[in-house]
Amino acid sequence: MVVRTYQEELSYLEKMTPNCWRIKKGFVPNMNVEGIFYVNDSLERLMFDELKQSCRSQGYGGFLPGMKQIGNVAALPGIVGKSIGLPDVHSGYGFAIGNMAAFDMSDPKSVVSPGGVGFDINCGVRLLRTNLTQKDVQPLKEQLAQCLFDHIPVGVGSKGIIPMNAKDLEEALEMGMDWSLREGYIWAEDKEHCEEYGRMLQADPSKVSGRAKKRGLPQLGTLGAGNHYAEIQVVDEIYNDFAAKKMGIDFKGQVCVMIHCGSRGLGHQVATDSLVVMEKVMKRDNIDTNDRQLACARINSQEGQDYLKGMASAANYAWVNRSSMTFLARQAFAKMFNTTPDDLDMHVIYDVSHNIAKVEEHFLDGKQKTLLIHRKGSTRAFPPHHPLIPVDYQLTGQPVLIGGTMGTCSYVLTGTEQGMMETFGTTCHGAGRALSRAKSRRNLDFQDVLNALEQQGISIRVASPKLVMEEAPESYKNVTDVVDTCHAAGISRKTFRLKPIAVIKG
Amino acid sequence: MFRRKLLALGYPQPDSFNTQDENQFRSIIVWLEDQKIRHYKIEERASLRSISSPDWVKALHSYLMDLECPYQQSEKNCVIEWLLAYAVRLEYGDNVDKYKGVTAETLTQAVTKPAPGVSSNPLDNLNFDDPDFKAGIASLSVLLQIPPHQDHVEMLKAICLLVKNKLSKEAIEQVSKDTGKVEHIALDQMELGFDTGDYIINEAAKVLRLIHLHDLRELQTTINQAIVGVQNVTANPKTDSRLGKVGR
Repeated sequence: MVVRTYQEELSYLEKMTPNCWRIKKGFVPNMNVEGIFYVNDSLERLMFDELKQSCRSQGYGGFLPGMKQIGNVAALPGIVGKSIGLPDVHSGYGFAIGNMAAFDMSDPKSVVSPGGVGFDINCGVRLLRTNLTQKDVQPLKEQLAQCLFDHIPVGVGSKGIIPMNAKDLEEALEMGMDWSLREGYIWAEDKEHCEEYGRMLQADPSKVSGRAKKRGLPQLGTLGAGNHYAEIQVVDEIYNDFAAKKMGIDFKGQVCVMIHCGSRGLGHQVATDSLVVMEKVMKRDNIDTNDRQLACARINSQEGQDYLKGMASAANYAWVNRSSMTFLARQAFAKMFNTTPDDLDMHVIYDVSHNIAKVEEHFLDGKQKTLLIHRKGSTRAFPPHHPLIPVDYQLTGQPVLIGGTMGTCSYVLTGTEQGMMETFGTTCHGAGRALSRAKSRRNLDFQDVLNALEQQGISIRVASPKLVMEEAPESYKNVTDVVDTCHAAGISRKTFRLKPIAVIKG
Repeated sequence: MFRRKLLALGYPQPDSFNTQDENQFRSIIVWLEDQKIRHYKIEERASLRSISSPDWVKALHSYLMDLECPYQQSEKNCVIEWLLAYAVRLEYGDNVDKYKGVTAETLTQAVTKPAPGVSSNPLDNLNFDDPDFKAGIASLSVLLQIPPHQDHVEMLKAICLLVKNKLSKEAIEQVSKDTGKVEHIALDQMELGFDTGDYIINEAAKVLRLIHLHDLRELQTTINQAIVGVQNVTANPKTDSRLGKVGR
């Protein structure tokens, strides 16, 4: 590997607009396409500090900076368009988290990479609305938080309260939210308001290892740990009245429930299993990458297809998981307010996926192409009138749910035509880490973090309080910076903002 | 086959004509030349007229050549079709003034007139072209603020739709249920998603989009109803709080 000085590295970077930088070919070896990333001033500083630091350490010790990872992805076989970094980009396994890349399905050399999806397959966010106001909820906040905590088990090693046997799991992996519908855990309208209608049709549970299934079985209906959470939130600012109304958000102070979780141990195991297989395949098929972590296989190879089918099954599991928690949250609210979820108008506004690879149709240089889109730590954001978004959002564009971090606000955006053209209909997914987990643990005290939340009037229930500093707002980029950058760059548009009043966490 | 053209030309047996019958085939060609086409002088038509002569085939061949017919005589249907069309064209050319006055309206009038008293339902016997009827539609459309259309029957259809969707008993009940929920969309604030380069067509495309969305919504609602119907049979959600375990 060539070691260059920071100044030399800068010659490969060019600022295109106030919110957008170009990474030229040559920044890392073998780039097939250019890279691009979106920032504002403060996010820009974070990105460049990271690069500077890595130059100082001469490439030894420590991780690759996000920019280098975007470049390495641009060097993968079959990539088209650009390797795109969203404003919340930070370094991850192989692909940066907040990186999207599109591969041409008609090119036999094109690859699929588990690192481009991530370990928590179909990690995502679901938002439920209610017709309650902050005033209704405030006096019951503590009890409500406790009630949610009792219904939705959290933390590493947690087990769910929905009874499942091995046959149920097989069916759930194949059917996704159709399984939840059949069993009566969710409403028909929930499916309508979910990306992919809550089911990937190419799923094949036989491509999921026994080990993965064993891990997944007891965990269905649990939040897990890490950055996952369930939050009771209130609408705190509305930017676009029309779009908000279409989503059933009518006034400030309206109470919503946000659920952020994924496919638990099952998805993790699917990813791990496939990485082992793909390392061997790369030798066989002579696939060369800049980074060992970018293990991949040709899309049309047996191993590539197996991964896509296993990944789709894990994605279905994640949707069933979020659906089960939707059911449990509705029960908790109904119990607390002595009414039915129907009367509380607890509809799903939308459900987005953050870590997924999907076959989509896009226009590339004016030509329609079938592409395999990897979105890792990034959200699909389709524009108005796109055929794959629900009829209710045809005029507004697809809702994009951006979960903040513990104690910070969350946002709802909508997709735009410009995003469709520039980023294959993709936008940010959340705040994005600024400090590593280890660094957060060293620098912050968990009691301070809990006290800070209490001062903001946020009720909190955590399974492992000693780890909350990993998820403290200080460990993350500022979600408002991230969202404002996407809005300013035009790749998605702000609709409304939510602030938390109660948090349930692993 | 050919019934309408034969009728128009006044051929004696338009209903029973059959090209496969060699005799009829030969006769009609002679009839067309004698009565309508008149390409040859009368004395030149002798060989064509002798339809039982063995040389008739040759005569037809040269006749078709002279007319510059693009078909061979073996393609009987094509030849007849072409000759009939040619005859119709000549007939029209001879009587342009007579036929110019004929429109769809005057024709339907002529056709519908001789059927009074068939139905006892007064609505079936309505004369849609009565000036009173037209005036009624016009004043209704003004009342309901429906933009004018040159065809008053189309206007009537639009009025029916509007009454059904907005003014029927069910529609009015629905509106009173939805009060406050119904959102009106300003057309100029709606994104079309593409540009035709013409303001009027853009507006029309937006309206089409909205109508399409309305249909889609109805379809999705029907789908949801079907799912709920199935759920009534299959659903059996269970929870068992004893299974729950909070992690660390």
